[in-house]
Amino acid sequence: MDIENKAIQTFLSFKMDKEVFAINVSKVINILEMKQITKVPKTPKFLKGVINLRGTVLPVVDLRIKFGLPEKETTVDTSIIVLSIEKDGETTLLGTLVDAVSEVLELKMDEIAPSPTIGTKYDSGFIQGMWKVDEEFIMILDIDKVFSVDDIIDFKEQIDDVKVENTQ
Amino acid sequence: MEQFKEKFKEEAVDLIADLEKSSLDLSSDMENPEHIEVIFRSMHSLKGGSAMFGFEKIDAFTHQLETAYDLVRSGEMKVDDTLLDLTFKAIDHIKDLLDEDDNFSDATLKNHDILLQGIKDILSKDSGTPKQNTAAKEDKTPNKTTNDTGATYYIKFVPNEDIMKNGTNPLSIVDELASLGEHMVFAYTEKIPPLDKLDVLSCYTYWVVILHTEETEDSINEVFMFVDTECTLEVKFLGNTNLLNYSSIRDKLKSAYDNKDQLDLSTVEELVIIPKASEEVKESSSLSSNESAKKARDQNITSIRVPSEKLDELINLVSELVTRQASLTLKSEQINNKELITIAEDIEKITRRLRDNTFGIRLIPIDNMVTRFQRLVRELSHDLEKDIIFQTEGTDTELDKTIIEGLIDPLMHIIRNSIDHGIESPEERRSLGKPEKGKILLKAYYSGANVYLEVTDDGKGIDTKKIFRKAVENGLVTADADLSEKEILDLTFQPGFSTAQNVTKVSGRGVGMDVVKRKIADLRGDINIETKLNVGTTMSIKLPLTLSIIDGLLVKIDETFFVIPLATVDKCFEFKHTQLSNAVNNLIYINDGHIPFAYLRKEFEVRSTPPEIEQVIVVEYNESLFGLAVDEVVGEYQAVLTSLGNMFDMQDVISGATILGDGTVALVIDPNKVISEFKYQLDDSKAEISI
Repeated sequence: MDIENKAIQTFLSFKMDKEVFAINVSKVINILEMKQITKVPKTPKFLKGVINLRGTVLPVVDLRIKFGLPEKETTVDTSIIVLSIEKDGETTLLGTLVDAVSEVLELKMDEIAPSPTIGTKYDSGFIQGMWKVDEEFIMILDIDKVFSVDDIIDFKEQIDDVKVENTQ
Repeated sequence: MEQFKEKFKEEAVDLIADLEKSSLDLSSDMENPEHIEVIFRSMHSLKGGSAMFGFEKIDAFTHQLETAYDLVRSGEMKVDDTLLDLTFKAIDHIKDLLDEDDNFSDATLKNHDILLQGIKDILSKDSGTPKQNTAAKEDKTPNKTTNDTGATYYIKFVPNEDIMKNGTNPLSIVDELASLGEHMVFAYTEKIPPLDKLDVLSCYTYWVVILHTEETEDSINEVFMFVDTECTLEVKFLGNTNLLNYSSIRDKLKSAYDNKDQLDLSTVEELVIIPKASEEVKESSSLSSNESAKKARDQNITSIRVPSEKLDELINLVSELVTRQASLTLKSEQINNKELITIAEDIEKITRRLRDNTFGIRLIPIDNMVTRFQRLVRELSHDLEKDIIFQTEGTDTELDKTIIEGLIDPLMHIIRNSIDHGIESPEERRSLGKPEKGKILLKAYYSGANVYLEVTDDGKGIDTKKIFRKAVENGLVTADADLSEKEILDLTFQPGFSTAQNVTKVSGRGVGMDVVKRKIADLRGDINIETKLNVGTTMSIKLPLTLSIIDGLLVKIDETFFVIPLATVDKCFEFKHTQLSNAVNNLIYINDGHIPFAYLRKEFEVRSTPPEIEQVIVVEYNESLFGLAVDEVVGEYQAVLTSLGNMFDMQDVISGATILGDGTVALVIDPNKVISEFKYQLDDSKAEISI
């Protein structure tokens, strides 16, 4: 995905905690309702487990825990977004647990604020850009980058910093 | 043409493998005529094929070698180390020739000349008589041969019209046939159309050959090995003597041909009756040759080449079938209709057999790659003046063909290291009180859903201090780094690490253990070193069965299903929860003995309330018993294993997953890993207590 592109690109937005995120639809394979997840022992907490996706075994990551946000009971809105990500040079399918899927957005690329230039401390490139509508922010995620890190990413502070930066 | 060339290449690779194996067998049993026969045969087939498909160098080369082995076969020459060494070099050279196709490198060409000369030397050196003999064999002319061995055959070769479009020259086949012995060839050209209707790319001619040869009927059939689908062939035994010796028969055949009579089998059989030959003898001998022909045909169909994509597709379909069949069994039990259950059970049985057969197809025993390791050990130990025996264990362990192919290079490297750096010289070994003969053991076995391959030598072991010093020198670690033995050994897998003090011919060619590790990682495997100074080193490679089906025992803990490979399960026992929770030192009393057990609820951090009655599955581990406590045993289950993917690399107690009939995911436990991890913790906690 090329941020400099002036053309229109399509994104899928979803809610987590109080934040709204978006992922380029080219990464999205499909969206599933919450279903029973088989927990795999001796794995980090953000790895929720595995589900059966039409005969193949799909790992599911709880994005809340991955981003260092507080855990939450699942609701009727909880969904699994199946993504195709590049990890260690391989294309893998991966399910991500989110609070609720919102909508499909068509964004003009030049309306997206460039990658935030927050302090080098947090600048690991997980956020590709910001889109501001009314007073609400939508953060566009570089999902490959997010999963290139095996640990929990402390996102809370990053998000706040990004917002401060963009409102100024 | 290319397609046929490829086919020949494939066959040639097999022939070379046969050749190599028999040569190795021969080197340990130099008198055995069986091995010599196989070598001769393989050479002969190679020669025939290469001549036909334009591998002239291979043709010329194998011809010479074949001559040498022909002498050995007839007892005029003895097998010795010179011949064997030359044979091995020749085998390598043929491989090179085959690989390089027509663009030979200078080195190969030079090697070619050296080896050819080598064979010629052997042939001429051998007392002079054989040389004459070969010469005589080469230009054997009709009528000169008076010996009455061999047999006479009638061969009718009718090529299909389009045979030349595939790049085959039927004349070269006739030529090759003629080279087998004394012959009369009759060409039939009456089918050739008038010039204006003639298609230059079509073959209208067919041939009748009367051949006297000392070769078997198989050899005649071999000539047609690559064209058997493109022609109509009739090979018939005529008599046990050289019928062409009788001028009356020759004349009769010739006049029949000149009269444009069809020389079909019945005509020829009538023409070739010899007054002296008794009917009875002819009858019985033709019977026996019929039998041998039948045997040859049986041999021809024992294996079929199939593209591996077709196999992959078949395996996918069978996996799907197994999963669907599980749903059927589940559903029929829910409906509880007796007839339906019977049908479901029958289908389950058939599916199980289908599954075993299908998965067996892709698997080949590792035995297939052992030959080249034997050769490596033989040659390298000879070069380095070391005395080493190479032993194997569990070579019937089967692995996917692609995995075996990927394993050859890393294993070669490991064995090479063992010979070069591991095993000491005989003098050194004697002074250390070790047997002079060094030993390298290649051992393979299954464990859980994995296959392990171990290379063990009884050499000097790896000096971890030396490794550490070297790592410091290379700047891989700092001198004050506090590393465990294992961590130090892992340093050898770092790129650019080599402890060989002198770069020898054998190792230190820039390919290090890092490449070995990477290649094994490519196969999703893992490698580990264990070593003891002056006792030896073991390199153990763990490989997953990437796609496979296993028989498992389906168990349940809380809401999660687990599969334990049935092969490891010994018995199941029922216990009250209190019995387990009160067990001292994690030991339970079963069958007059105490068995250690792992309480999987605790190991897997399951927090819900345990049931009152729990099950202990007793599994075998390193020939002793070990218990795994679970909530409930569901039953036997055939599980299609799928990998969990690289997201779950951080753990290894769960080696894969499988999808149950109702669509839920069950996790496959590797009991060995659970136990080794558990024991490790146990040892740790004991250590703490004793402190």
